[in-house]
This record gives sequence, C-alpha cells and structure tokens, in this order.
Amino acid sequence: MLYREAGQFKATYQEDQQIFPIRQDRIAIASILVFFYLVVPAAANQYWLQAILIPVLIFSLAAIGLNILTGYAGQLSLGSAAFMAVGAFAAYNFMLRVPGMPILAAFVLGGLCAAAVGIAFGLPSLRIKGFYLAVATLAAQFFIVWALTKFPWFSNYSSSGVITAQQVEILGYAFISPESKYVLTLAVVTVLALAAKNMVRSSIGRSWMAIRDMDVAAEVIGFRPMHTKLSAFAISSFYCGVAGALYAYTYLGTVEPEGFNLDMSFKILFMVIIGGVGSIMGSFLGAAFIVLLPIFLNISMHVLGDWVPHGLASNLELIVFGGLIIFFLIVEPHGLARLWQIGKEKLRLWPFPH
Amino acid sequence: MQFFFEVLIGGLLSGVMYALVALGFVLIYKASGVFNFAQGAMVFFAALTFVGVMELGAPFGLALVITFAAMVLLGVATEKVVLRPLVNQPQITLFMATIGLTFFIEGLAQGMWGASVRGLEIPGIQDEPIEWAMDNWGIGISKFDLFAAGVSAVLVSVLAVFFNKTRVGRALRAVADDHQGALAIGIPLQNIWRIVWAVAGFVALVAGLMWGARNGVQFALTFVALKALPVLIIGGFESVAGAIVGGLIIGAAEKLGEVYIGPMVGGGIEGWFPYVMALLFLLVRPEGLFGERHIDRV
Amino acid sequence: MFEERIIFHDAIETMEVDFCGTTFAVNADVDAFYDVVDKRLADSGRSWYFLVVYTDCVIAPEAWERFAERGKIANVKHGLGTVRVGASSQTREEIRQRAEQEAFRSNIFNTRDQAMLALGEMRKRRRDSRAAAEGTFLRVENVSLRFGGVKAITGVSFEIKRGEISSIIGPNGAGKSSMLNVINGVYHPQEGTVTYLGNARHQMRTHEAATQGIARTFQNIALFKGMSVLDNLMTGRNLKMKSNFLLQALYWGPAQREELAHRKKVEEIIDFLEIEHIRKTPVGRLPYGLQKRVELGRALAAEPTLLLLDEPMAGMNVEEKQDMCRFILDVNDQFGTTILLIEHDMGVVMDISNFVVVLDHGMKIAEGTPDEVRSDPTVIRAYLGTAH
Ligand SMILES: Nc1ncnc2c1ncn2[C@@H]1O[C@H](COP(=O)(O)OP(=O)(O)O)[C@@H](O)[C@H]1O
Ligand SMILES: [Mg+2]
Repeated sequence: MLYREAGQFKATYQEDQQIFPIRQDRIAIASILVFFYLVVPAAANQYWLQAILIPVLIFSLAAIGLNILTGYAGQLSLGSAAFMAVGAFAAYNFMLRVPGMPILAAFVLGGLCAAAVGIAFGLPSLRIKGFYLAVATLAAQFFIVWALTKFPWFSNYSSSGVITAQQVEILGYAFISPESKYVLTLAVVTVLALAAKNMVRSSIGRSWMAIRDMDVAAEVIGFRPMHTKLSAFAISSFYCGVAGALYAYTYLGTVEPEGFNLDMSFKILFMVIIGGVGSIMGSFLGAAFIVLLPIFLNISMHVLGDWVPHGLASNLELIVFGGLIIFFLIVEPHGLARLWQIGKEKLRLWPFPH
Repeated sequence: MQFFFEVLIGGLLSGVMYALVALGFVLIYKASGVFNFAQGAMVFFAALTFVGVMELGAPFGLALVITFAAMVLLGVATEKVVLRPLVNQPQITLFMATIGLTFFIEGLAQGMWGASVRGLEIPGIQDEPIEWAMDNWGIGISKFDLFAAGVSAVLVSVLAVFFNKTRVGRALRAVADDHQGALAIGIPLQNIWRIVWAVAGFVALVAGLMWGARNGVQFALTFVALKALPVLIIGGFESVAGAIVGGLIIGAAEKLGEVYIGPMVGGGIEGWFPYVMALLFLLVRPEGLFGERHIDRV
Repeated sequence: MFEERIIFHDAIETMEVDFCGTTFAVNADVDAFYDVVDKRLADSGRSWYFLVVYTDCVIAPEAWERFAERGKIANVKHGLGTVRVGASSQTREEIRQRAEQEAFRSNIFNTRDQAMLALGEMRKRRRDSRAAAEGTFLRVENVSLRFGGVKAITGVSFEIKRGEISSIIGPNGAGKSSMLNVINGVYHPQEGTVTYLGNARHQMRTHEAATQGIARTFQNIALFKGMSVLDNLMTGRNLKMKSNFLLQALYWGPAQREELAHRKKVEEIIDFLEIEHIRKTPVGRLPYGLQKRVELGRALAAEPTLLLLDEPMAGMNVEEKQDMCRFILDVNDQFGTTILLIEHDMGVVMDISNFVVVLDHGMKIAEGTPDEVRSDPTVIRAYLGTAH
C-alpha cells in the first residue's frame, strides 16, 4: 500500500511530463540522493569510497554515455574506453598548458574533445550499421590508444605515456580526501545523469530512439540521419570523456593510455547490457554489478582457499561475465533495470497479489 | 625493389592467415546471419586445446582428432545454448551474445589448460626462408608461411567441394540464400546450423594450428583474430572469395604500411592500420568488395 | 551610367537595382534614375522580384516623396516583391514608416545573403500558391525504377488533385509501394520526375519529404517499437520542435514549454483516433489493428498536406476497417488533407476514392473514377489473371 500510483491523477500535462511522475519515485530518488550525499561520505571507509564507490560512479557515467549511443540510438560501439582516454588526456593537457584553468572547465573541455573525436569516428555510421559499425569503432579504440602512446606531447613527454593528474582544486578547496573526491564525482555524475534523463525524454532522445527502432521511418518523418547519429556520437563521447577525466582525477590519479584498452570498452558494454539497454537507471546498476562482481569472486576464491587452483579467479571472471551476458540477453534483455521495474510493480500491488 | 617484394610477399602470406580466420566468420554469417565475434576465441580455444592434449602425451594425429571433436562439441553447444534461444532477435543482440561467448570461451580455454605461452610445432615445417627463392630471387620467403598458404588453399578447395558437391553443402547454400524458402522445402534449419558451427569449428582448428605454430599459443592470438574483422569489411561478410582477397589485401597493406608509413609516425601502426583502412574503405564501398548493395524494403 | 546599376537575374526572376553611393538630392535625380528603371522594365515585358541595394545611398528629405512614389509605380506595374539591403539607419526608418502606413513589407536586411534567402522564400511561396491555384498538386511523370534487374516501375505517369482521396490499386508486386516510396523520396527512380506543389524533382533525400508536408504510413508497420504510443506520436512533430539539446538537457524554459505545447497537439490526435487508453503503452505490445491506427496518428501529428497510406486496412477485421475508413474520410474532410492510398479491398477503394490509378507489373494500365476503372476491360483481365 506504500507504493501506489492510484489516486495520483495528473491534472495537467505538465505534471504528467515530470521527470519522475510518481510521487513515491520522487521521494525515493530524494532519499537516495540524501543517502549518497550525506550518509555515505560520513559512514563509508576509505576502501569503499576509493575502490568501489568512485569507480562505480565513474563507470556509471561512461555506461550512460554508451547507453545513449547503443541503448538509445542503436549504434554499437566497442571504443568507449578510448573516448574516456581522450577525455582524461585532454583534461590533463588543458590543466597543464592553460594557466589558471578551472578543473571543472577542464572536465568539460575534455568531454568536448572526446565529443569531437567521437563525431569523427561516428562518420562511418552514416553509411553502415550494426556490427559493421562495431568494427569501425574498433578502429577508434586501437588508433586513439596508439596515438596517445606514440605522441609524447599528449603526456608531456613522460615515459610510455603515463600522466599524473594535477591536484583537484575548486575555489581554493583542495579535493584530497577520498570523501571529498567522492562527493565531487557524485556531483558531476548526478548533474550529467539528470541531463541525460532529460534528453532521452525530449525530442533529441526521441530522434535517437526513432533511428534505432526503424531508421527509414525516422527519416521519412523528417529526422536527418546524419544529425541524429552524430549528435548521439557526440553526446555519448562527451559523457565518456568526462568519465575519463574523472577516472584520472578522482579515481586513479595516474593513468596511461594502455589502461583504456579494449577490455575496458567491453566492460562498459557489459555494464550496459547487464544494467539495461536504453535505461539511465540501468547504467548505474550495471556499473555497480560489473565493478563488484570481480571483487565478490575474489573474496569467494579466498574463502575457498587452497581448494581452487591458482589463476582460476581471473578465468572464472571471464566465464562468469561471458555467461551472464548471454544469460541476460536471452532471459532478460532489458537487464537489471527491468528487474528493478518488476520489483516496483510488485511493490505497487503489495500486499494484494492482483 | 627486392625489399618491397619481400615485404609484399610476407604480407600476402600472413594475409592468408587472416583469411583463414575470416573464413570461419563468413561460413556462420552466410548460413545463419550471425556475426560470430567469438570466432577468434574459437581459434584460441582450438590451439590451446591442441597443445594441451599434446602435452598430455597424445601423438599429433590423435591430438588433432580430439581437438576436432572438442570443436564440434563447442560449436554444437553454442548453437543449442546461445543461438537457438535468440533466434529472430535483432542481429545486434546476436552479435552482443557472441561477444559474451568470446569471454566465456577464452575463460574456459585458459581455465582448462592454463594461461602460459606454449610453443606448437608442426612436424617437418620450420619457420625459415626457402633457400631456392633466396638464391634465385634474393627474396626471403618463409617455408612456414608458404606451407600455411598451401593449407589454406587446400582448406578452401575442400570447403568448395563440400558446398558444391555434397547434399549437406547444397542444403547449406540454400539456407544461406533464403531462410524461409529453405524451411518451406523442408530443410531442417537447426541441423544445418549445427553443421555450420561444426565446420566453423574445424576452420578455427586449422587457423589455430597455423597461428599457434607461427606465433606461439597465447592470449594475444585473440587480438590477431580480431584483425579478421577489417578483412571482412573489405571482402564483404557473405563471400568466401571476399574473405580471401580481403585477407590478402589487409595482410599486404599492413606490412607495407608498417614498413613504409610506420617510420614516419613512430612505428607500431600494425595494431590499428587494418581497422582504419577498413574504415576508409567503408566510406567508399560500404557493402565490401564482393557484397551486394541492398536497398531496405519498406 | 544608370544602365549598369540595373541587373536582371533571369534565373531567379529578379531585377537588382544598385543605389550604391548615389545621392538623390532633388526630385530630378530621382526621375533620372527611375526613368531608366521604368524603361528597362517595360522593355522586358514581364514582372520581376526587386532586389534593391541601398548601401551608402543618401536620399534627401525633399526627394523622399518622389522617391517613394516612383518606387511604388514600378512595383505596381512590374513587381512581384521587393527585398532591400544595407540601408542607413535613417533610410531604414523612413522605409519602415512608409511600409507601416501603406501596408507593405519593408523587408530590409543587413546582408545581401540574407536578402537573397528571403527572396528565395518569397519565390517559393508564390510558386506554391500558384501551383495550388492551377491545381497541379502532385504530378508523377514517366517514372521508372529498377532494382538491379527487377523493373519495379516502368514509365508511370499520373496526377492527383489537392484535397482529393486517390487510390493506387493493383496485384501484389505491381509496384504500388515502390510508387509511394518514390513520391516521398525513399526510393530514387532512375528516370522521371515528381512535381509536388510546383516543384519538379528527379530525386530527393528522404528526410526532405517531411519538410514539404508529406507524411506516410507503411505496409509493414514501421512504428518505433521501443517507444510508447505518446512518444511515437511526438516524433511526428519533430520538425516543428526548435529548442536545442542543451535546453532539452535542462528541460527548462522554452524546451519545457515547447514539449507541452506539442503534447497538447498530440493529445488532440489521440482523442481523434480514440486511443486515449493506450497512450503510455509501448507500441510493440499493441495488437496489429491498433498499431496501424497509431501509425496513422504519427503521420497526422506532422499535420501533413499530402498523406500517403500503404495498405492501411490490410489484415483488419470488418469493424476495424470501418473505423479506419471513417478516420481517413474525417482527416480528408476536417483538415483538407490530400490522401493517396494503396488498398486491396475493392469495396473500400471504390467507396472512398475520387480517383483510382491501376498498376500491373510496374506499368499503369488504367486510371479514372472508380466507376471508369471498374468497367475497364484491361483491369478486369489483370485482376482475373492473378490470384492474390
Ligand atoms: N528494396 C527493394 N529491393 C529489391 N526489390 C524491391 C525492393 N522493393 C521492391 N522491390 C521489388 O519491386 C517490385 C514491386 O514491389 P512493391 O512496390 O512492393 O509492390 P506492391 O506494393 O505493389 O505489392 C517487386 O518485384 C519487389 O520485389
Ligand atoms: Mg506493397
């Protein structure tokens, strides 16, 4: 009886068009925000913040980016990590070379650079679809990582392209403690996630979904394919780029191009598939799942101790990841987000079964 | 000039190896419309299984048979567990499923046989230049590469005979041309798919042996296998001839690029050159060299 | 010397008058110039758009009255419309005031490019209205379309009138759908032209059809399966939505107002089609008949001038067909939308069409009113000869 839509009549379209039309959803979101902004920084220990929550948030952002491209606009990409790399290295260079550059502006500029690169590699999408495009994005993946490694300018002539992020400072406050880094990451991610949610329920989001679902029909009703697809590439890459910048600045501190490899691109794709294709909420669930799973596996291996042969954990991870992808695609193609939805519907009916 | 030819021939021969992997993709794509991203993992699986069985003391021939059996098993299982439940799903879903499959197979292979790098020897064939070519033309051609080219030629001929002369092969071609039609005249699709996956497994085995003997059996093999993708883009997904020509083009272009363009930009361009080339190619001819242009029906 | 300041651009039906650097101090200066202009115009013997360049032109207050009068005369005799460029602020103000008093458009632009653009718009508007007046709404001329070796359409010509309901009929594979696809730019014919609202074209990009007011439904429903009914209909209004993605990302101000305004329009269509109850349902879950209705709704949301319907009633039961017929007639009646439809049910076709085109094997074998077509021996033969 707690979670009820009944009785909430929408008198105006405006009310109906709210970002979270159901009152309980609004309350839930508000409590979640309070929890993550206030309770978590106070309660969580350093390990949780630095090794779990921050990466989960950052990967959620990257997954939102890929979800915009793949989930909403239907353009498969295997190069997300490379766009993160662009964001990270661009932000680094803006901080390095422009005196007095504010860090948030550097994040945005990093995102914009990624967007520009995204548009360049999105151009083939105008002529090709599906897995053809996936191959084209592989070109982005390999080329970008190579370029960042090969041209020492990008990493300010450090050996093998490693960069060390400058200290994060906003209005004189230095973000050094894990708590502060976590809150900064959370803030950026919240803002961008809300923006993404707004876009996907506006005309630009509908244009993406239209192209995804039936491209000829979309064109017939006046969506220009070039504009639509490239906007998806640009915005998606922007999100990945900002995620990459955060990855360097609030998560690892030191990154190298090779860190943004194909494997990471696949991980982000898995977050989208497992979390829910075409769902902003799912991007968070998927990221949390994929970040936590290896940790969970590792712990289980430790518990089993000498029982299991050495090196099995990493292979088990591959097997479990692969198996889960197949499982979700077959059994629940809308991923964890759908399960979440079903859970809510159950809750709506509770305590009556029908 | 001699150097140019040496690089070219080296490139063409390694292109043959790419073609070998691409062939597996084409077979499955033609018969079931599935773009099997896991073909590379299957190659890796085959090579690792073969080496593993040899290490257990099996002779070459027996190891070959056992590995072949394993590949058939893997193919059939994949068809049953992964593809059948996803029939009629959008191609992109199937594609993503095969990415999952890739991880699964890689994990399985390494879990069973370990992740260390192994050597693989094919009796009697060494990776050394042919003296005769060296003496007469002054060009170094690896015996092994030539052998691999020969094996590929034999494989392609065998496949050609299989597709054109056997009943099963003809049924396969019918399926490739028209799924509904094939169903209508009573060709059991599922059997066909199972056979195709088994054949693709066999092709993966051959490719795995060749690549394994050349570069050692290691995880990096899966990256080599990825290079079959640009091959397909250039050759077209539906054409065996395309896979071969595309493989040769990519092999040659990659080596020539590395030698002639590489030094200008600091080298190491082999990793992306084929992809970027495929990308540029896509802009000019999205349907590939041998593919047909389709206009969507509405 | 005034001669070279008058240039006739035949291709865009425009006379350009360059007042650049001229000073009109007294009435005599004005007359000297305008005498030449009038003579040249009279010689041409036709009407023109005027492009007047005022850059660095000075008109003394005492000459203004005469200047305006001569301009007006030239315009009445030979003008189709006037655009002006680069006037000084004083001249600009003067023109504005006169425009207001005499109810003409001042049309002053800062750059020549802007003026040319506006001129293009003016010409297009006139062309459209002329076409409308003449009655050629849509004319298909000698269109041929091949797919590799398959001849889908061979040399087909016909014409449909504004405001009417026309039908294309013919056996399966006759090329009916292909014809619609040619009209709205999905397929590009190898030969022939389509003239729509006075614009002749050989080929066009698909998304341009929508900008010209052509909407369409498909034989095999082409809804956006992953989206709700409401969102599907909203996509139909995309061309009318202007706010940029940053505003949309904030969902704020203009973006929100725009979204609401269009939502309102879409709700009208939802009411019209009687699909209120399924507003929020993902279209993939709807039964076939309702999907067809939603697809019609999406087309209507664009408020089209020409509506192309590809077998809107295929696979429906009698009741659903009746509903659909009613909607089609209502759309035609209430919004004045011209409709071109493909339908197999002869009863329906004969009932609701003003005009019928019959295709067979890609060729036109007959056309005319339903009665004419019904009694045409070739048509009867074609229909008896094929099972479908
Ligand atoms: N996209 C296409 N590619 C190839 N052939 C096509 C395509 N669209 C239509 N055709 C062919 O053109 C002919 C006419 O088809 P169509 O216009 O769909 O007929 P109808 O709508 O009258 O049944 C058919 O032979 C069909 O196979
Ligand atoms: Mg048709």
